[in-house]
Amino acid sequence: MKPLTGFNLVRPRTLQGALTLMATLEKTQPIAGGTDLIPLYREVQCEKTNLIDLSLINELNGITESLNCIVIGSTTTHTQILSNNLVAKHVSALHDSCSVLGSVQIRNRGTIGGNICNASPAADTAPPLLVHNAEVNISNQNNNRWIPLEELFKGPKLTVLQPDELLLKIKIPIDSDSASAFKRLGRRKGFTLSIVNAAAFVKREEGLIQNIRLSIGSVAPTPLRIKKVEEEFLGIEMSKRVLDEIGQACSDQVKPIDDIRGTAEYRRDMSNILIKRALNEAWRRTGGIIE
Amino acid sequence: MKINLKTFVLPFQYNVDKSLEYYKILEKLLNRNEYFVVGKNLIRSDALDKCLGKANFTADYLSKESLIVKVFRSCKSHAIIKNIETSRAMNIPGIEAIITARDIPGINQIGYALPDQPLLNDTKVHYIGDPIALICAQNEEAAQKAEESILIEYEELKSVFDISAALNPDSPLIHTDGNVAVTTKIRKGNIEKGFKNSNVIIEDTYWSPYQEHMCLETDGAYAFPDGTNKITVICESQSPHLVREKVAAILGWKLNQVRIIQALTGGAFGKKDDTGPILAAYAALSAKTLGKPSACIYDRIEMFKTTPKRFPAKFIYKSGADKNGNLTAIQVYITLECGAYANRAPFWLWRQTAHAAGPYEVDNVAVDGRAVYTNNVYGGSFRGFGNLALHFAVEQQIDKLAYELCMDPLDFRLKNVLKVGSRTTCDQILDHSVGIEKCLKSIEDASKWKEKRVPIKNGNTLKGWGIGCAYHGNSTSRSTPDWSAASLLMNIDGSFIYRTGICELGQGSPFGHVKIVAEILGANIESIKIEIPDTDSTPDSKPTHGSRGLMMGGTAAADAAIQLREKIIKIAAEMLDCSLKLVECKESYAYNKENLNKKIPFNEIAEELHIRGLNPGAYGFYASPKRNYDEETGLGINYSVYTFASTIAEVEVDTETGEISVLKIWPSMDVGKAIDPIIIEGQIHGALSQGIGFTLMENVQLHNGNILNPSFKDYIVPSAFDTPEVDDPILIEEAYKHSAFGVKGVGEPSIISIVPAIVNAIYHATGIRFNTLPITAERMHKALKEVKK
Ligand SMILES: Cc1cc2nc3c(=O)[nH]c(=O)nc-3n(C[C@H](O)[C@H](O)[C@H](O)COP(=O)(O)OP(=O)(O)OC[C@H]3O[C@@H](n4cnc5c(N)ncnc54)[C@H](O)[C@@H]3O)c2cc1C
Repeated sequence: MKPLTGFNLVRPRTLQGALTLMATLEKTQPIAGGTDLIPLYREVQCEKTNLIDLSLINELNGITESLNCIVIGSTTTHTQILSNNLVAKHVSALHDSCSVLGSVQIRNRGTIGGNICNASPAADTAPPLLVHNAEVNISNQNNNRWIPLEELFKGPKLTVLQPDELLLKIKIPIDSDSASAFKRLGRRKGFTLSIVNAAAFVKREEGLIQNIRLSIGSVAPTPLRIKKVEEEFLGIEMSKRVLDEIGQACSDQVKPIDDIRGTAEYRRDMSNILIKRALNEAWRRTGGIIE
Repeated sequence: MKINLKTFVLPFQYNVDKSLEYYKILEKLLNRNEYFVVGKNLIRSDALDKCLGKANFTADYLSKESLIVKVFRSCKSHAIIKNIETSRAMNIPGIEAIITARDIPGINQIGYALPDQPLLNDTKVHYIGDPIALICAQNEEAAQKAEESILIEYEELKSVFDISAALNPDSPLIHTDGNVAVTTKIRKGNIEKGFKNSNVIIEDTYWSPYQEHMCLETDGAYAFPDGTNKITVICESQSPHLVREKVAAILGWKLNQVRIIQALTGGAFGKKDDTGPILAAYAALSAKTLGKPSACIYDRIEMFKTTPKRFPAKFIYKSGADKNGNLTAIQVYITLECGAYANRAPFWLWRQTAHAAGPYEVDNVAVDGRAVYTNNVYGGSFRGFGNLALHFAVEQQIDKLAYELCMDPLDFRLKNVLKVGSRTTCDQILDHSVGIEKCLKSIEDASKWKEKRVPIKNGNTLKGWGIGCAYHGNSTSRSTPDWSAASLLMNIDGSFIYRTGICELGQGSPFGHVKIVAEILGANIESIKIEIPDTDSTPDSKPTHGSRGLMMGGTAAADAAIQLREKIIKIAAEMLDCSLKLVECKESYAYNKENLNKKIPFNEIAEELHIRGLNPGAYGFYASPKRNYDEETGLGINYSVYTFASTIAEVEVDTETGEISVLKIWPSMDVGKAIDPIIIEGQIHGALSQGIGFTLMENVQLHNGNILNPSFKDYIVPSAFDTPEVDDPILIEEAYKHSAFGVKGVGEPSIISIVPAIVNAIYHATGIRFNTLPITAERMHKALKEVKK
């Protein structure tokens, strides 16, 4: 068995401490649940790394409500999110995604910060957060900034985070009249990475689409917001035919590749199906019916 | 070892009725009509330790000082080795030795059926992962550095990665005698006439791919010197005595210089049959060379990339039936892909050849098989041993014929299945123990099959029902001698030690033996302890494969128990002052059936045995009735008995995504005699998952001999969510005359009918046939798209 060597584990108790370590130590890497990082270390030999464990830092954990926003600390686990009523009520797509992510064990360890900082195109919390216009708070020792989540992702496993920066929290605006939903497709019914995933957010005014946001994962180098389609269908009256058109339009926007989990062609077809299913479910959650 | 069993003698030496057949033990020997433990669901003696994590597996035995044995492997799929340079690696601190082929003291050969597989390669490599050297290191880091420092000079050869390339006359030769490792043949009846009398003929080609076992415990062996001229190896295997034979040959030692201890094994499914001797030899070579304890433990990726998988196979079938729905003829061409080495291919191919007609009577049969080398990872033993792939093909043929004839697929099967008096593919007359008809009828009723003949469309889902049948010859085929042994010792306190070389792999076979022993002795089941197999003291029971563990090993156990019982009864009769006939034993007491007040506990009987100087032990030996086989035609008595099974599956297909859900399964099996119904149920449930995996998702992705998905992350096996509702398994008991209480094997037969049941249900739901597996959501989606076009 390949030994897990080559790293040094540091466990700061405060955020300030962590940021100082990030700024001063050579070759640092934050670790939260380790559910992405440890398997990666097993696969590829790593150079001497200082692992900064974030799990003892209270300030980074938990879910709060402030200024009509839900704020989720980066080390909040999927299990914590799943049992939170605010999320279940206002960010149902995120609740959906946490309920199917990994397994109970993975949800108990894995964190939302780890899921998005890992920047997998297939990350299951990404499409829900994207359709809810989430923003992320990034900080190093000296600077603290907020950016839209969309701007965090640069490519597969790549983010805009600088080597000394941490992601501290995620902010999701509460929009009471809206609803959202998440759907995914894996190679079996559980404990598996998505071949494609999708989230939809809608606001309904009678039969009209008052607001719509769509996101699909695992069909491009980063999780995608499909803004072109959103704009196209704003204010349109929802119907079975419109739903089909939205699905088709979305599948025209994605840029999938062939890999071990599926072909580009299948991913394109599934973008269509999954976004329709997510949107249909979100619409239903607003109290609407699609005929 | 060649043994000639000229005459078959029932192994009874005591005053037992010589005409007693083992399935009549209860009535004829025990003079009872009810069982004490056989047929009852008991808690397995190993259950608690396993649940508590107290059971010891190979890696639990390692000492801290143990050296690490790491295998240095080929990165080329086909190449001549020009030079092996190890001096740089030898200089790395912590490296104790680097062992190559020339350091092997005995014979550098590990091939199972053919001598085509060196333990360590020094002239040529045949697949990516072929072993070249053993790095013996004090720690992992050193071993890893050494691995990067060994330099091999290769002369690359052209590789062949599929059977058609390998069969091309211009193909490079993977082994010197050509790319066809072995051929098989059956000729029965008149095939031309058979097809002439057919009103419908179905022809099709099927491909059954690799499957990885995904045993939870990875392969491992731990060897340590026992003085200067003996080595002990603790390892996983399915046949400790085979491991001993192979390790001794490699070390150049006598059998009694090698001691193999079979640790509890965390899943085998055939894999450990092949990897057991290899890892034991690696560890033993290091222990012998360096005189130090040495361990070779694979991680998941190494295990996945380099160890044998289910052999892939191609079947070209032509099957005919007349208008009344009687099968008339079949012609089959089988091409098995060996991969880099033949390993079990000759036996695997023969099993497919011998079962080619499926569990049906067909008068005219022609089968031709060949096993072909390629430069892919090699194949090996795996639950079902050829019959899983074979039935995937033959059961679709049967289904297609039924639909073509507008007959119900179940009725068509009922009309053609083997019955008492029928002849098998190999023209073997079955004179008893043929339960397939009962299996079929029972699940027809249980599933309300007749009400489910119309597929159901509901929104974007389609639901359908399918059926699959299977038969599986137990244990060894053709005229190969087949026997098993066991030993039983009564301690002076009345407790027992039971020894069998049949291994505990999670399946519980040795516990089944103990139930047989307890039944015959009338002993308390807790008083019998199973020793883990140890070649220094355990008799050679032959391997734990071919669904023979209980059927063969358990009958040897019965033989030992019968012998010991004789002595116990004799002494008890004297102590009770009654005739032999009146003695009954129950829960470790002997008593007089006519005077229940007087009971003698087994400890007093044991003491008496010793005082009188009577041998308190018994060695059980059981040999299968003689079989025969004609080389020219392939006909003969092939297997001593067959297990039969049938399954009905209900599936649902999502027509938008292509996802397939198996919703419900109705299983049935003719098991001869259910020694422990809940263990059989366990086998069926496990087989179901493995079968669903093989049918719907498991997919070894190979590219130029490289395995791209060698881990649980990307090699998808079913999860609990993919497991359907399972109806109560229906166990048919058509006893087998020559085994203890009539028992037949269930481990492999439990998986075989599941695959075709699902595939046929998918057809019923969608009208689409699949000639290759797995039927992933993506493949299904693509097929549905094509139909819509
Ligand atoms: C068996 C299994 C099943 C899985 N199933 C799924 C699934 O269904 N869906 C899915 O989306 N994922 C799945 N995953 C992946 C993984 O569990 C999730 O992505 C999880 O959310 C990662 O969180 P973590 O805390 O464990 O991350 P870690 O492994 O600790 O970190 C991941 C990455 O993020 C960085 N990081 C973590 N926190 C911060 C921070 N605050 N600031 C900056 N960088 C940070 C780390 O440096 C690292 O690069 C699965 C993993 C396994 C092993």
